[in-house]
Amino acid sequence: MEHDPAVIAGACVVAESAIMRAINLSSGTRNQLKSLYPLTIGVNCSSPSVDLYVTINADGAITIESYREEATTVSLAGSWKDFLGVAAAADPASALINGNVQISGDTAPLLQIQTVLADLDIDWEAPLAETLGPIAGHQLATVIRAVTRTSKNTHRRLKRQLSEFILEEGRLSPPQAEQDAFFTAVDDLVLRVDRANSRLKRIKKRLDGMSG
Amino acid sequence: MSTQDNTTDETTDFGFERVKKEEKAGRVREVFDSVASQYDLMNDLMSGGLHRLWKRFTIELSAVRPGQTVLDIAGGTGDLAAKFSNLVGKDGNVILADINAAMLSVGRDRLIDKGTLNNISVVQADAQFLPFEDNSIDCITIAFGLRNVTDKAKALASMNRVLKPGGRLLVLEFSKPASPLLSKIYDAYSFSALPAMGKIITNDADSYRYLAESIRKHPDQETLLEMVEDAGFVDCRYHNMTGGIVAVHRGIKG
Repeated sequence: MEHDPAVIAGACVVAESAIMRAINLSSGTRNQLKSLYPLTIGVNCSSPSVDLYVTINADGAITIESYREEATTVSLAGSWKDFLGVAAAADPASALINGNVQISGDTAPLLQIQTVLADLDIDWEAPLAETLGPIAGHQLATVIRAVTRTSKNTHRRLKRQLSEFILEEGRLSPPQAEQDAFFTAVDDLVLRVDRANSRLKRIKKRLDGMSG
Repeated sequence: MSTQDNTTDETTDFGFERVKKEEKAGRVREVFDSVASQYDLMNDLMSGGLHRLWKRFTIELSAVRPGQTVLDIAGGTGDLAAKFSNLVGKDGNVILADINAAMLSVGRDRLIDKGTLNNISVVQADAQFLPFEDNSIDCITIAFGLRNVTDKAKALASMNRVLKPGGRLLVLEFSKPASPLLSKIYDAYSFSALPAMGKIITNDADSYRYLAESIRKHPDQETLLEMVEDAGFVDCRYHNMTGGIVAVHRGIKG
């Protein structure tokens, strides 16, 4: 099914504006992007069938287009589920390389972009101060930062406590060291079985030679 | 309602009227003289801002590169020319052409305000008789202008003449909606809401009634495709946008 180019163009405008807003609020990011110029990443989504081209321009600005004839630096092909999997992964670079997304072209810029994204430090206080004024904006930003910090800490504590409960209170999973020792023992056993198997084959061959 | 090109040796369409060919340019000029100062505002209101997305896709299709020469015919207020100016860079050249002096004046002022006139030339020209050398232009765009041209076939032939071999023509124009339901809604909107908006914003309902009528008299997608092919272009195709309300036709000079 062919999508309406105006709808895709509208989505590109919205995405482009949001990305550029974030980049402009993160000091240094635009300069980092400038160093990647010229770079075009083709994103070929098979289901739904949509092609997008993300270009980094000489001034560090990003444009997203739905049509391009010139060659891309790197192309990514897959379904929307594959791309969503990469976006949601804890380590997107690893998910991209080991997942179902097919990559062609120069992959080095993808890793550089991941570094830029990891360094993205958005100053949310600036747009709040622009809208609400410097005092109210700063107060609200302080509250948002405190809430964000608390929720991050809570999430980290919950994760650790859940892990401790599974291992120690509930005894639902053996400790890591026990698991490692078990897997090492299994590997060791596999090697010994292989060696015994080879020895048996050698003895059988020798016996066959003696009887012949 | 016909969607064929009804131009004969003697007469042509001016909205739903038949007028002598030599009269049409003058009548069209009156329309655009009247709306020039509020043209972009009206475009935004009439299309709900969609005209920006239609133009954006047209620019993507142009595949214009730095250093190229782009001719934007019927460029009016210069919104496409400003975008092309960035794409061709300091080594390229953009020619903003329009038959209407009032529209060009608004466009030139706007480009000066944006500071983008350094690689843009402004030329008052008739699309049927383009005052440029043969094989001199890399890309020609005409956005929402072809339906106002007196003899469309002659204009397309003139564009073919000035394009370089391999050069690209893009015609962005209102067209025929694919769905009958959308067509009915669109008709009701353009013949009722459009003149009413024109009356409020520019105090000129007649000009916007002409715009609605001229859209209905403009060739549909397939007819225009044939006309582009007949003018000598190859690898011709079109993309419908917003359900076919607008279509962008592309042709390459062979």
